[in-house]
Amino acid sequence: MSLLRFEDVDLGHGTHVVLPGLTLSFQAGERVALLGQSGAGKSTLLAEIRRRLGNTAAWCPQGHGLVPLLSVYHNVYMGRLERHSALANLFNLVKPRREAWQTVETLTHELGLEGLLRRPVEQLSGGQRQRVAIARAFYQQREIFLGDEPLASVDPHQALRLLERIQARHATSIIALHQHRLALGHFDRIIGLRDGRVVLDAPTRELTLARLDALYPDSTATQGDTKDETPGEAKGEDRAASST
Amino acid sequence: MSGAPGLLRGNSPGLTLARRSLALILLCLLLLPFADLRIIAVDPWGELWRMLDGFVWPDFLGLENPLLAIALTVSVALWGTFIGAILGFPLALLFHHSRMVRAFCAFVRAIHELFWALLFIQVFGLSAVTALAALAIPYAGIFAKVYAEILELTPRAPTDALPGGVDRLSRFLYAELPLVWERLASYTRYRFECAMRASVLLGFVGLPTLGFYLESAFREGRFGEAGALLWVFYALIATLQWWGHRRLLPILLVGALFCLGPWPEVDGDLLWRFVSQDLWPAPLLQGDLAGMGSWLAGLPDLLPAIGNTLLLALMGTAGSLVLALLLWPLASRHFGRPWQRVGGRLMLIVLRSTPELLLAFIFLLMLGPSMLPAWLALALHNGAVIAFLVARHADGLKTGMADLPASGRYAYELLPRLYPNLLALICYRAEVIMRETALLGMLGVATLGFYIDSSFQYLMFDHAFFLLLITAVLNIGVDALSRRFRPREVPLDDPCSR
Repeated sequence: MSLLRFEDVDLGHGTHVVLPGLTLSFQAGERVALLGQSGAGKSTLLAEIRRRLGNTAAWCPQGHGLVPLLSVYHNVYMGRLERHSALANLFNLVKPRREAWQTVETLTHELGLEGLLRRPVEQLSGGQRQRVAIARAFYQQREIFLGDEPLASVDPHQALRLLERIQARHATSIIALHQHRLALGHFDRIIGLRDGRVVLDAPTRELTLARLDALYPDSTATQGDTKDETPGEAKGEDRAASST
Repeated sequence: MSGAPGLLRGNSPGLTLARRSLALILLCLLLLPFADLRIIAVDPWGELWRMLDGFVWPDFLGLENPLLAIALTVSVALWGTFIGAILGFPLALLFHHSRMVRAFCAFVRAIHELFWALLFIQVFGLSAVTALAALAIPYAGIFAKVYAEILELTPRAPTDALPGGVDRLSRFLYAELPLVWERLASYTRYRFECAMRASVLLGFVGLPTLGFYLESAFREGRFGEAGALLWVFYALIATLQWWGHRRLLPILLVGALFCLGPWPEVDGDLLWRFVSQDLWPAPLLQGDLAGMGSWLAGLPDLLPAIGNTLLLALMGTAGSLVLALLLWPLASRHFGRPWQRVGGRLMLIVLRSTPELLLAFIFLLMLGPSMLPAWLALALHNGAVIAFLVARHADGLKTGMADLPASGRYAYELLPRLYPNLLALICYRAEVIMRETALLGMLGVATLGFYIDSSFQYLMFDHAFFLLLITAVLNIGVDALSRRFRPREVPLDDPCSR
């Protein structure tokens, strides 16, 4: 079943076109990995997919988009902010809703954040914040998961565990990431972007690590695992945290 | 081979700023002969000596009931700031959407707290309402502007991460307000410190805050008592972080309610007559346009007053610039020994915490009524404020070459990096200095404030109100001018530096 299709459309911000003449389609039930260097157009593509799918998809943004001053509970609760009245949301800031608290507590247990529900996000480590952002996406309870580098600030072992949780909860997932081994092992299809063009779109079983590494032309590495560490990824989060 | 460029030639940003500041100082020097800078007092040094003596040997036992004055000063500052913040916050939300709101805020903050007090005294007498309104109204305008600027800088990422269809209020409460809460709170705290100074000043128009006792002690030469009151005030400011702690605020606010007073009996008819008739020129109300001519002719001579106001503002700004350049090394870790630095920092804090009107008042007693005491007070107070901020900024910088002599460190390492910020602070401060010059008129310097004060004394409210409007317009003009000359390349992200 087709989820959505792009046929020869220009995507970008305002007049600035990032992905010209894009033709691409996605199926329901697919697990898709988006690969490519920073600036290749992954975020632009994901933002447009998110816009088209609206609230049928859970969303986990790059740099987490968390509110440092609020507790873990409130940050996760924000995933369903639109389903309650303004008054109920206001009251929830003072006194958490009981059923929401229990749901969030279960979620945080699942993601290894137990005991941190009351902790302000500003006091968490980068990996913990990452898991809060994923918990918020889970709390939305959607069929589809859209993630813009949701595994960027955790170690490879955790990344694997988190990815398994994400895919267990969502039949369909479209995730941008840099970990090539994870992409090969846990997705049905890989789309590679380079300079605003789709240079690779194939079922995972037809692909090898070497072909994925070719997406990064200036890479001297021969192993896909070197891509597991991408130091620049936590930037957006730092900005949000330091500005409070 | 090319010859070395001439004096101040070149188009590097540093040279542009240097030319700009030198032009400011030069303009000030050129106009200086027009200012009245005579020393009228007979024995200025003896007077200063007696004041210092009173400051060093304060007479705490001579104070009658200082606790009441302290309680009233704090209560007025607390509730004035609180009401100002409550009024200012909704205005801040509308600030960028409505030209009307922006103009209204510019107007109410262009008039100094003391002038608002003079206005309200006519209706509410020497009461708590006058004191609170005098602080809350201009602060509402200031809060609206600064809160709006802070809210504008809210990071967008959390809002973008929200699911679609979240209502406006929930979005604001969850994804916007918490991100800027700390900044809003820290600015409000800073404004409370300003309110403490303003609350003291309200004593100068007769409200029984600390300033009332300070003024009478100074005027009657009881310098021991004046010194004691000053010490009390400095102690209040220095311990603010403890007694003004976030957790104590609710208790303080409730307690302050009991210290406020007296509450006036408002006569509605009188109030209405004041607002609808007394404040406006009689010919205007009668629709007699020809009569307006003679009404205008009856006003005091405005041009010299406006000239004096602008001249004093210019002198104050240029003086602050020079003093800030000289004073900031005193409090910076890059210069001097630790004990010297403690001394320097203490001096700057004292100069910064003393209300400028009070400084001017002390100099006035010393030097007699000319523009000199006002100039000294403006330059010292504002120069110290800026020097303090610049020193803090400098302490955050690392010097590259460790073994430069102090002069080299100052001129080559630090000043080039600090100067754009320093000049931007001066430009922000120009508006404050302008507000204060008008105010110094109340001490007898022939600025607009002098005529506003005397019009109120002669119960010519229409004159006073008209002069207040002119003051506000001048202020808004100076603000616009200084914003144009402000170095663009330095964003002042710390609103507490205004």
